Amino acid sequence: MQTDAERQELRRQIKDSACNRDAGTAIRSARKLVDGWNKPADVMFCASALAGIADAIQDQLGARPLRTYIVRSVTVEPILPFLATEAVFSHYVLDLEVGGYGSYADELLNTQSALVNFKPDLVLILLDVEEIAGRLPDLCSDGLGAGVEAEIEECAGRMAQLLRSLRSRSSARILLQGLVVPDHTSLGDVGDANLPHSLPHAILHLNERLAAICRTVSDCVFFDVDRLAARHGGARWRDARMFLANRLPVSSEFFNVYSRELVRAFSTMYRAPRKVLCTDLDNTLWGGILGEDGAEGIATGSAFPGNCYFTYQSYLKQLSARGILLAIVSKNNEADVQEAFRVRSSDLALNLNQFVACKIGWNEKAKSIRELAEELSLGLDSFVLVDDSPQECEQIRQQLPDVAVIQVPVEEPWKLVEILSEQPFFDALSVTDDDLNRLNEYKAQAQRAQLEDSAIDRNDFLASLEIVCTFQSALQAPLARAAQLLAKTNQFNLTTRRRSAAEIEEFASVEGGQAVVVRVRDRFGDAGVVGLALARNQGESCVIDSFLLSCRVIGRGIETALLAYIGQRALQLGARQLVGEFVPTKKNALCASFYLDHGFVNCDAKNAGDSNSKFFTLDLNTSIPQSPEWIKVEGYESNELSGSPVFTS
Amino acid sequence: MSYQEVPSSLRNILSDIFEITPEEVTPDLNAEKVPTWDSFRHLQAILALEGEYGVQFDPQRIPDLTSVSLIQKELEKKGASL
Repeated sequence: MQTDAERQELRRQIKDSACNRDAGTAIRSARKLVDGWNKPADVMFCASALAGIADAIQDQLGARPLRTYIVRSVTVEPILPFLATEAVFSHYVLDLEVGGYGSYADELLNTQSALVNFKPDLVLILLDVEEIAGRLPDLCSDGLGAGVEAEIEECAGRMAQLLRSLRSRSSARILLQGLVVPDHTSLGDVGDANLPHSLPHAILHLNERLAAICRTVSDCVFFDVDRLAARHGGARWRDARMFLANRLPVSSEFFNVYSRELVRAFSTMYRAPRKVLCTDLDNTLWGGILGEDGAEGIATGSAFPGNCYFTYQSYLKQLSARGILLAIVSKNNEADVQEAFRVRSSDLALNLNQFVACKIGWNEKAKSIRELAEELSLGLDSFVLVDDSPQECEQIRQQLPDVAVIQVPVEEPWKLVEILSEQPFFDALSVTDDDLNRLNEYKAQAQRAQLEDSAIDRNDFLASLEIVCTFQSALQAPLARAAQLLAKTNQFNLTTRRRSAAEIEEFASVEGGQAVVVRVRDRFGDAGVVGLALARNQGESCVIDSFLLSCRVIGRGIETALLAYIGQRALQLGARQLVGEFVPTKKNALCASFYLDHGFVNCDAKNAGDSNSKFFTLDLNTSIPQSPEWIKVEGYESNELSGSPVFTS
Repeated sequence: MSYQEVPSSLRNILSDIFEITPEEVTPDLNAEKVPTWDSFRHLQAILALEGEYGVQFDPQRIPDLTSVSLIQKELEKKGASL
């Protein structure tokens, strides 16, 4: 139990670090204070202190500023300090504006509404059942439901219209909150459960319809508040006294949980999930210590406590099925581990083939994880480590702070899955074919590396890969994948602009615009959509707004092929020069000389762009980028291009 | 009137909510004297006090509790240990 002295000490630290503009310390202390005591006054104190150093939080931690507009029919003002504070903990700085109680329809439909004029980056739509489906409670009162289905369709249709209207006026990301399934209905629990059209059934069905509508609107996430209400307190979720007196939708004891989950939900539109889960073996993947207990002695399988570990293994297997890579990082003898997976295979939910890599040996784990990052061409911020040893966990936290660390509760192994699922780092708004194919792709990567080791000449090696690049308009390819690439590519990304799906659509459809994705396959496998370029002709210049490539295909000339494609298209669309832009970040030094390497020259552009942007130009009259000869090119409008000297097959 | 007439726990909460110093929280301080004391902050203060002292205010009384002394009296009436 934390003492009041500790609380006062944390408050002092927050105050001091805010004075010294030390954003990192202020946030760490604020998090401890808010999580440790959960007192509203503390949250107000933190919100106020953190608001005072918003610019430092952005500068020092790269937090993302978000102009956020809340469309509401309920009282949200007392929740805002909680929302702002939780957002800062996840490195967002919210600039909040709240709409009127009764004006939600106008805000979403009117071209000159306060919402549109605010030019939000993010819109949170927090309505109550009265606004979304006001007639449902009466229609459901007999449970037989004449007209209930029709009403649900009408409500869903109306909401779809509101969302599409908003989408046509704003490229903001959208969060639509669902409805809480009501409690204390006149049919009673038995009636609600057994009658076909009780209100709880109708609301659940409506929530499903709303979620389905969100899937059809770009950059839109459905927020299932009912699930949250059910998990945290059910009947206590809403304080009827405060709702009826002040229209407060959530009891104040849950402001923090509610805010945290709102942030978690909209984060999926800004951040890609982590990609690799590294698991320890002893007392983590199974119970006991293999070196001491032997393959027969470790706990795993259908009986307690082995089933705790089996549950964890099953969870990992499910993560793997949607594209999260699994790796073993363990201090053990490799032969022992192989034996354990062999003799206990029927008691294990996973086999060794389901791991993309195994680092089994006696090296420091920090070293093993660094090696893995290199082999998989992934940043350390894509990694999660699950380990039971407090020392190992602490070592990774200190040496590799970008890696997320989960410490196994050794005495309570049944809690491991719950602890893991509480973390947002594998949250994904969409799962693409590329995600599903990821394990095979990374295994192919390892085979390529072997071939590269045995090849003598680089060009021979690249030719032997039999690379095929297929260019597609981003509108033809899965848009979700293009948006995902923009959200998560850090290293080979020339401008690191996190364009939304709506903005990609605009590049693709505007006259003189290009939104091109490249799919890559070779003799070892299909890497899927791995690169994207957004460009737009302005007069005779084709300005390349975004240009990026997934790290795992770098070094094979694909970036050159993409540039050649963009250049050729720009020429066809009437441009005479290419303008490239490089915005340096902490992570993209890799591509700093990309344009110079491709014959561009420096130019002192005085036009817009980020303050530290560097601009480069290439005169298309004298020089057109050429695709490397070892790459076979396929593309949309390929007939048009087949006669072109740019692409050779 | 002196801020020392207000229990320190109450003083601290109200100073957090209204973004003023604890010394400014005197018994006669009221909504008219504090620019940040609007209806939403008022609700915020009420929620914070309910959470801190484990009491529930009567919704009909809430709008009237617009000074520090009125809040303090209401809390004492509810049996809160200040």
